[in-house]
Amino acid sequence: METILSVNNISKRYGKIQAVNDLSLEVKKGQVFGILGPNGSGKTTTLSTILELIRANKGDFQWFGEEPSKESRKRIGSVIESPNFFPYLSPAINLKIVADIKDHDYGDIDRVLILTGLYERRNSRFKTFSFGMKQRLAVASALLGNPDVLILDEPTNGLDPQGIAHIRELILSIASQGTTIILASHLLDEVQKICSHVAVLDKGKKLFDGKVSEVLAISDSFELSSHDLEGLKKVVAQHPAFQSITPSSDQILVYFKDEVKAEELNQFFFLKGIILSHLSERKRSLEQHFLELLDDNK
Amino acid sequence: MIKLLKIEAKKILTYKIFWILIGLYFIFLSAGISMAEFMINNMVDSTNRHLPIPIPHVAIYFFPWVWQNIAFFASIRYVLIFPAMVIIILITNEFTFKTIRQNVINGMSKAEFLASKLQLILLISLAITFLLSIGTLILGLSNTSDISFGLVLEKSSFIFGFFVTILSFQIFALFFGFLLRNTGLSIALFTLYVFIVEPILYYFLKSPIVFKNDISTYLPVNSILRITEYPAIPVLKQVMGLNLQDSVSFLACCIPLFYSALMVGIVYWVLLKRDL
Repeated sequence: METILSVNNISKRYGKIQAVNDLSLEVKKGQVFGILGPNGSGKTTTLSTILELIRANKGDFQWFGEEPSKESRKRIGSVIESPNFFPYLSPAINLKIVADIKDHDYGDIDRVLILTGLYERRNSRFKTFSFGMKQRLAVASALLGNPDVLILDEPTNGLDPQGIAHIRELILSIASQGTTIILASHLLDEVQKICSHVAVLDKGKKLFDGKVSEVLAISDSFELSSHDLEGLKKVVAQHPAFQSITPSSDQILVYFKDEVKAEELNQFFFLKGIILSHLSERKRSLEQHFLELLDDNK
Repeated sequence: MIKLLKIEAKKILTYKIFWILIGLYFIFLSAGISMAEFMINNMVDSTNRHLPIPIPHVAIYFFPWVWQNIAFFASIRYVLIFPAMVIIILITNEFTFKTIRQNVINGMSKAEFLASKLQLILLISLAITFLLSIGTLILGLSNTSDISFGLVLEKSSFIFGFFVTILSFQIFALFFGFLLRNTGLSIALFTLYVFIVEPILYYFLKSPIVFKNDISTYLPVNSILRITEYPAIPVLKQVMGLNLQDSVSFLACCIPLFYSALMVGIVYWVLLKRDL
């Protein structure tokens, strides 16, 4: 698959603070790539670097397989931190400036204003907007001219629940059209709901990256129960992937070293003459995984 | 070039502060021009009371001297400060509103951003010079009795000198705006330098005790204002043969243009080096 962005070992230091530490990423076409991390983990610094707002101390990156340039940035729509527009100009004129810079005509402006629900206010001055509307204008500006890549830094920050749902739906519908999306967020829930891939950052270091679905599919533990609880305990220890067991009065919690499927396990016990009365896969959530990763890193 | 000016036009066309400051420039300039002749003649009148043979009233707005006089009044620092403030505000706004970040994110290079501001300065300078030329022509034509084509154009080099003045003064303002990035601070330090720091330096450097040669000519603001250093009082030349300044010197234009190039270079270097 075509590589949209490759980041190679970038580091950025602000005085004593190492904002980004030897970070490498690869984003392929069509991915919804989440950059997940707590506040101050280097998400915005990373995005600012790949948009050439700041210069990394070390490392480099390529957009669309080429050295970064203003031409590559014209193919990217971005929302970084706060919405930045001229307060005394209307959204329509603000978007015309964006279109001029990106060498687009003005034909797409009405569409993105309608899409973000700002069409009725297109001639009011930007400074009269509420925060939510400002944020939506930033999204509208990023969507202008159907960019190949969308970069969103905390896109639902400061929005009300309705606004959050609206923006998430919008992102998903854009992603379904094949647009590559890079989304930075400190909200696990957001990454879980929207992203196909994720990289977890903490203190500027990448702890982990991979498919969101794979992270969620890691079934490292099962709740099991049987009328013959003692027999169950003996047999489970014979399983090749067995790791450890946490018994309780009416069931056991078993950890496995490798990935084990529920039907496989059921068959294993049946063949050994144990009839299970309860079998439940405990999916490790992204949140647990995230916290574990953060703990391991300490 | 057209693309960047199109973007700049959108930023200023509906910006009230821009039009207010440009308006103030013309109001102060017109007021200065209309009062100057009156005030000079007031002085003549009060001097005449002590003289047996009165000095005739002075006229300063007839060809060819009108070029030099208008250029002189338009180059006074109290008047020039308005277009300079326009430039400082337009540049520091981009940092305050973080629109420079957004422009770069959207695909503008830092060089293009600087070029867009330089083009705007060029356009404002050309527009003001053009309007001033029209005003000077009208004023000169209505105050000169014996008009010939050669007479009208004789001292018109002063209007080119004025163009260099307003262009370099705005580039000096751009330098403050880009380096300091904060509107209030830039305006405060710029005003402080232009009205206090440099006049003090000027008197210090001009004094023969300090330096053998007068190097005050090389002070940035002084070099800009010196292009049209003196007004032309025709009676002084006619009656007393005193001639303070006859034309715009090429060398006098070179010093501010050299400063402008240097400042643009520094701004570009800092812009590339600094994070947005």
